[in-house]
Amino acid sequence: MPELPDLLDDALLRDVLATGLARGADFAEVYAESRRGRLLRLEDGRVEQLSSGRDLGAGVRVISGDRIGYAYTNVLSRDALQEAARVAAGAVQGTAEKTVADLTSLSRRADHPVRVPPLEVERPELVGLAERVDASARGESGDIAQVIVTYQGSEREILVANSEGRLADDHQTRTRLSAQVVAARNGRTETGFYGPGTSGGHELFDQYTPESIGRTAAARAATMLDAEPAPTGEMPVVLWRGDAGVLFHEACGHGMEGDHIARDTSIYASRAGEQVASPLLNGVDDATVQNGWGSFAFDDEGTPAQRTVMFADGVLTDFLLDRRSAHGLGASSSGNGRRQSYQHLPVPRMTNSHILPGEGTPDEAIAGLDRGILCKGLGGGQVNPASGDFVFGMTEAYLVEGGEIRHAIRGANLVGNGIDALRDIDMICSDFAVRWGICGKGGQQVPVSFGTPTLRISRMTIGGTA
Amino acid sequence: MSEDPLALARAVVRRARSNEDLEAFALHSTDTRIAVHGGELDSLSSAGSRGVGVRVIDQGRLGYAYTAEVTEAGLDDVVEQARANAVLSTPDEANLLPGSSPAPDVGGLVDGSFDEVSVEEKLELALELEATALAHEDVRTCGMVRYADSITRAAIASTNGVEREVERTDAWAFAQAIATREGSSQTGMGLTLGGGPRSLDVVAAGTEAAGRAARLLGARKPASGPTTVVFDPYVAAQFLGVLAGALGADAVLKGRSMFADRIGDAVGAPIVTLVDDGLREGAPGTSPWDGEGVPQQRTELIAGGTLQTFLHDTWTAARTGGGIASTGNASRSGYASLPSLAPTNLYLEPGGASGESVIRGVAEGVYVQDVMGLHSGANPISGQFSVSFSGLMIRDGEFAEPIAEAAVSSTIPDILRGIEAVGSDLRFYPFGGSLGGSTLRIREMSVSGG
Repeated sequence: MPELPDLLDDALLRDVLATGLARGADFAEVYAESRRGRLLRLEDGRVEQLSSGRDLGAGVRVISGDRIGYAYTNVLSRDALQEAARVAAGAVQGTAEKTVADLTSLSRRADHPVRVPPLEVERPELVGLAERVDASARGESGDIAQVIVTYQGSEREILVANSEGRLADDHQTRTRLSAQVVAARNGRTETGFYGPGTSGGHELFDQYTPESIGRTAAARAATMLDAEPAPTGEMPVVLWRGDAGVLFHEACGHGMEGDHIARDTSIYASRAGEQVASPLLNGVDDATVQNGWGSFAFDDEGTPAQRTVMFADGVLTDFLLDRRSAHGLGASSSGNGRRQSYQHLPVPRMTNSHILPGEGTPDEAIAGLDRGILCKGLGGGQVNPASGDFVFGMTEAYLVEGGEIRHAIRGANLVGNGIDALRDIDMICSDFAVRWGICGKGGQQVPVSFGTPTLRISRMTIGGTA
Repeated sequence: MSEDPLALARAVVRRARSNEDLEAFALHSTDTRIAVHGGELDSLSSAGSRGVGVRVIDQGRLGYAYTAEVTEAGLDDVVEQARANAVLSTPDEANLLPGSSPAPDVGGLVDGSFDEVSVEEKLELALELEATALAHEDVRTCGMVRYADSITRAAIASTNGVEREVERTDAWAFAQAIATREGSSQTGMGLTLGGGPRSLDVVAAGTEAAGRAARLLGARKPASGPTTVVFDPYVAAQFLGVLAGALGADAVLKGRSMFADRIGDAVGAPIVTLVDDGLREGAPGTSPWDGEGVPQQRTELIAGGTLQTFLHDTWTAARTGGGIASTGNASRSGYASLPSLAPTNLYLEPGGASGESVIRGVAEGVYVQDVMGLHSGANPISGQFSVSFSGLMIRDGEFAEPIAEAAVSSTIPDILRGIEAVGSDLRFYPFGGSLGGSTLRIREMSVSGG
């Protein structure tokens, strides 16, 4: 892979940044990206897709006051970059008289070491990994009707240079292997999913073997075949380790992102320093987790990765900021400026969002339920950012009565409000697990992970079976 | 390298070995995106990109690769990658490249005035959209105001003799208004789309966004029970999006469709005619040919309530057999994606009555304006779904009090059978494909509220 610093030398970067500032802007930035990736899909034992991708491009961002001009190209020539800088600068003319500072390169960091780079693995080995997932899923239950295995491996190099003199480049490797399993019996079908990922290479499979991935997804699907219609109404809910993170991410984390805060469109915007959540809650967003699926060494604005405390003993502490929202709030970026690719502007995003473990065991959390729900899987959902109201489908859930798990329930939705749910946490256990996902916001997809202990919320609304 | 996508596609095809089936899809696009907030430009993005995706089929084995590195070395590499990927794919005799057949003439794809419009004028459109929404007394702010346009030039060439080129221009703008009264807030969306900036009606979209948000203020939970339900056109379009998943032949072949083995059966009320029209003038999904170079066409999926056919691409047609041909429904979301089966412009054939008269026929019922969780809440196999919604009560044929925090549930087959009226107010939404929606009256669904 061509190294971006060789393609874009300091002299060229300085000239492009100077063009960006030439119309009176406050700030100019060049973001360049080079990416290679491979994708494999095994469907019912057949290699249905094996594809390779190569992306290369750069964008010039010019900021004048609150206005942003952006232009990108996937031709990395001097002429094309200068033209992009002219277009971006022309969109947001100002009266500032800034000059380009000397570019000081931040040393490349190896925060997330890669032992087995995914693009160096021979293709037949990828097929072998996927076939092991498939076989183990089918071995888990006699009711498995379909197994889809997806493998992704990619290497992405970014380079960021800005008029304040920052110059950073980062090499980000990602590997993920996931299984989606359909189980069927007597005309009923249920699905299960499991998909570990890393900002690393194939050493991922030492910790998460292909067999464990297949079995976990299959067990989830098979369990739900015995599910009965769900009850409705308000009741306490125990959210299982890892899976609780989907709720934390969607219903709380997004409201902590700086763009919503700076715009005052989040219910959390005016609540900094307040005890908004249960005193049991300690929550962080941490891009420094070694080889975390949402980790990096530098964000897409060249800010070093950080760990940000969002909730300390239930008190709302720090928001997740990119440069722009930080500027609006008179703060510094927390290293949460991320973009899907050079085709996108950076926006504040989560990385790895974690709820820290507390005390107690999941058994104790369940034993304390007179009548409630144990939720071990949350599916797709929707959140209204202005109010914090949310609805999530439960993909794996059980009815608990008298402190005992009765049976699996199906088709139920979890309905509630983010801030109410945080307040109503009455137990956080000492266990911990991570889940991996792709988060969409404003049309941009980025890898994120969620990690949580098992936790209990004293009351939520269960929307019943259709 | 050439700036012309067809020349690029040809340059890739020239790299094919003899007896190798190879297809190149090249895309050049230019985009402008504008976001405004509080009467000012928030961000403006302008872009040019180009790239090529390559399919190699070797004895039924399909390999894919794409590249944005449009150099001689980049094109050599992308062909090599596609070839290496093909070697390990499972052979499937239904993996075929389509041949060349005459494509229809489709007019109106390019708005001639597009190039005359300056960036400043586009910014003015976005600002006017926001100002119109903010002019409403209950609207203090907008969550999102966006303008976007694009010029796309696509080309396809293959060793099977396909050589096609098409250009499209598109523009759209939308606003999400936030209405607030006594501490509670509601949101509403307004949208306008067309072939270029000059064909947008931003005043109508701003008014629509504000009106939809404001009329929900003060919403309460409705009573529970079965009732007549009217879908807003936007909700009807989203419903068709879920239905589309079950009408693709890929879902049928993979045992994931509730409509498998139902061709010839009455699956809807007699007034239900569901059309996928890839040639419909002025609609967002219109093109003379699809993502494999196969001519697009008008397909009646359901006619007079009877299921006629499924949507096909080359692979599903070959796999189904029995003389079935592609319906021109291979879709490409960019040069990075393999073709996949998708509707072009999907809609219910509109009836004669306006949206208002569809509502006027309801003595008491529920108007569903916005839904949350339709995709996650719908089971594409069983057709069961339950979604939370906000909207309005209908009493004596008129909108009455607003309602929210409620769920509406039914099954897709029951809805199709229960459709009583399809409004004449058909419009297209460019979200997740091109889906048409009209005001839709359904005899009975189950509403659960307080």
